[in-house]
Amino acid sequence: MAQRVVLTGLGVVSSIGFGPEEFAAGLRAGRSGARPISVFDTTGFEYANGCEVVGFDPAEWLRVTDPADLGRASQFSVAAARMAVRDAGLDERQLADKRGLVSVGTTDGEAVDLEALLETSLNRGSAAMDGQVARRAPATMLSLAIARELGLSNVSAYTIATACSAGNYALGDGFDAVRSGEVDFALCGGADAMCRKTFAGFYRLGTIAPDCCRPFDADRQGILTGEGAGLLVLESLDSARARGARIYAEVLGYGLNCDAYHQVAPNQESIERCMRLALADAGVKPHEVDLISAHGTGTQANDVTETRAIRGLYGDRPPRTISVKSMLGHTMGAASALGAIACALAITHGFIPPTINHRSSDPECEIDCVPNVSVEADLRVVQNNGLAFGGNNASVILGKYSEKEFAS
Amino acid sequence: MTIENTDTTTVSPERAARIKTVVCEILEIGEDEVTETSLFIEDHEADSLRAIEILASLEKEFGVVIDQAELPRMVNLRGVHQVTAESAGW
Amino acid sequence: MTTAQRLVITAWSAVSPYGIGRKSFVDGVVTGAPTVTELDQERWQGPSGRGCLVPGFEIREVLGAKGTRKMDRVTALVVSTVGQLLADGGIGTGEDTALVLGSTMGSAQSIMDFTKDVLVRELPYLVDPAKMPNSVMNCAAGACAIWHGLKGPNTTLAGGQAAGLMALDYARRLLIHDRAAKVLVGAAEEYSAERAWLDRHSWPAETPDRVLGEGCAVLLVETADRALPASGRAPLAEVLATESRVYLEGDPSKVLVACVRSVLARAGVEADEVWAAVPSSVGDRGRDEREVVRSLFGSEVVDRVPTGDVLGDTGAASAALRIAAVLSVAEHSPEAAGKVALVTSADRYGTVACSLLRLA
Repeated sequence: MAQRVVLTGLGVVSSIGFGPEEFAAGLRAGRSGARPISVFDTTGFEYANGCEVVGFDPAEWLRVTDPADLGRASQFSVAAARMAVRDAGLDERQLADKRGLVSVGTTDGEAVDLEALLETSLNRGSAAMDGQVARRAPATMLSLAIARELGLSNVSAYTIATACSAGNYALGDGFDAVRSGEVDFALCGGADAMCRKTFAGFYRLGTIAPDCCRPFDADRQGILTGEGAGLLVLESLDSARARGARIYAEVLGYGLNCDAYHQVAPNQESIERCMRLALADAGVKPHEVDLISAHGTGTQANDVTETRAIRGLYGDRPPRTISVKSMLGHTMGAASALGAIACALAITHGFIPPTINHRSSDPECEIDCVPNVSVEADLRVVQNNGLAFGGNNASVILGKYSEKEFAS
Repeated sequence: MTIENTDTTTVSPERAARIKTVVCEILEIGEDEVTETSLFIEDHEADSLRAIEILASLEKEFGVVIDQAELPRMVNLRGVHQVTAESAGW
Repeated sequence: MTTAQRLVITAWSAVSPYGIGRKSFVDGVVTGAPTVTELDQERWQGPSGRGCLVPGFEIREVLGAKGTRKMDRVTALVVSTVGQLLADGGIGTGEDTALVLGSTMGSAQSIMDFTKDVLVRELPYLVDPAKMPNSVMNCAAGACAIWHGLKGPNTTLAGGQAAGLMALDYARRLLIHDRAAKVLVGAAEEYSAERAWLDRHSWPAETPDRVLGEGCAVLLVETADRALPASGRAPLAEVLATESRVYLEGDPSKVLVACVRSVLARAGVEADEVWAAVPSSVGDRGRDEREVVRSLFGSEVVDRVPTGDVLGDTGAASAALRIAAVLSVAEHSPEAAGKVALVTSADRYGTVACSLLRLA
């Protein structure tokens, strides 16, 4: 018998705030995380704004691990995990007795460390690389660091490297693992730290906006790179009820697919199929969806393709479709995890986060993006999209929790 | 719309041959399949990533920097000749 | 989902230092011939002069010129292995076919090459745009999907030597929740100078007696109730149970024992029914792993499948290649039919994993 799966804890490290309360307040206010990039040297770029995490002190969150043994993405990942567990009202020691899944999505892993190693290698030769930095570079650390820091041994610790939809991939796997009862809890999400190679790559592709990210705007010029982590606690409804936990939202289902078409260009038909898979899995009809948190990167190609896919599925009157990337920038592997958290908070607090920086709607993107100002709304079903390089699409459906099981 | 002076690019035959080699390798086509005016995207199945790749490879080949704003002109060999020549100051 | 769904492996292939394709792998396992070679120092400027490379693996020669211009080695290993598997079995692909791939970090060489342009070119953005996808870890899985038309879930798992077992467990969830009809499950690691340097600096104490290898193994996994009726593909093995855990201190032994006991219990198999027990890691943790497995099952059971050391340290591909080795031995051992094999892993970063198979 499949169990109902609910979200009971949220952990957030973002450019617009730490933790669910600050994050929710930022989303509601339409706060922008954009600022001149300081985490790497931007000499030579004509413009370099990004959505950095400012004021993050890993020592606040690490008890057993030396911060120097973890790269920045792993530090974000651990901090968000500890926050999520605390937010869920769970005791870490009790958690250690349960069977769990830890799953963290990422695009770049610890690419910041790899760049540092390369710099050493170019300046002083490969023999001079720093062993501590080399050891923390593999992306598997993003999930293992959580297990180690929280003292969780009876868990499968996965790092899912499906680029910019990885957070949704992780969430989906957690949903399946909890639903079938094979684990008692899942701690899922995504993490990435801003790195120069990815900034340079997007810059080269002409997809970095000079000032800010304006999804669905006629004058949008691309993404801003961002960073951070979002981790969510998933457990069965029975487990949440038994311990009287607060329930943010229910996970109703998800869909995954691959374009098998192009490494970087999105594919409308395939995105539409992914969303259909998600709705079918959730047992939700298109007209029942109240809000879509789009992948919404703010590039020409993504926004027009994704909007068309949405209209292909939802018809001429699609649900309101927002992009939290307008506020957070593109946080890569964390993006769809932070998107899912935004959806859960929107459901809980009854509002729709706005798409900020909006001036004039693109007639090619025929959706209501809730420009600039959040609106109050009673949301029952919300869809969260993640699209990625490699054609890795993932869409997750969340619903407002009610005792009666959702049924179309 | 301005009419550009299309026939006065100063690309030497040697440079033109190097450009053609770069372009054909990226488009994965034979050098006899491309003409001065055949379109990379419409006629040779290129996409926007390939177009940027052509720009990047020419930068490397000739040691120049080409403004990405010129991409819309680089739709065929003739356009590529013009943009490369202007960027390199030939 | 139903709990009654049985998972079966119905095809596999490998590209390894034994050569390209399943047959060369089976022959290699049976003969146990060494694969280590002296490396061309001009081409492979790593810290060591020796390695276990796939012989003759020149990408354009193996896969042709079209579509391979910017392809990196790990991507080519995956595209080629999956190609071998599909061709051997005449297996179709499409929306119902998933790919789950274990990897350390994709191609360390590609990431470093791409980043190098940021650091050394006159302007930091003069990177090679066509190589940007290669600098992201899901490049191989995405490229393989394009090459072979795999439109189902497409997942890259970043792990250590246990990655192949983790991929198998992840694939099980996809199948029992009906997210794909069949899953190509595998893991890959390339040899490259940058990987070799990272490895050297990460584990300096282990390095002297270790040679790096490379390779890729891919299994076709489906549910038993679908495999036979739909395609006529006969199972080569049933996947009875797979599990991974995390060891928190330096020694993986205790957690590995717990993990092994757990899969045995879940499969309802007694320890003395295990016909072959196959450790897959190398280095210090690999030694710990081997001792644990030997103490649990005895030498005869551990020695049933020849050691994988002849392939060198194949990184994330290690455990997947050991599953392929089990299937290779089974192919040559009529007495293996119906027997249970255990593949284990204890990677350096903190994962232990094991999988229990019943050979057909």
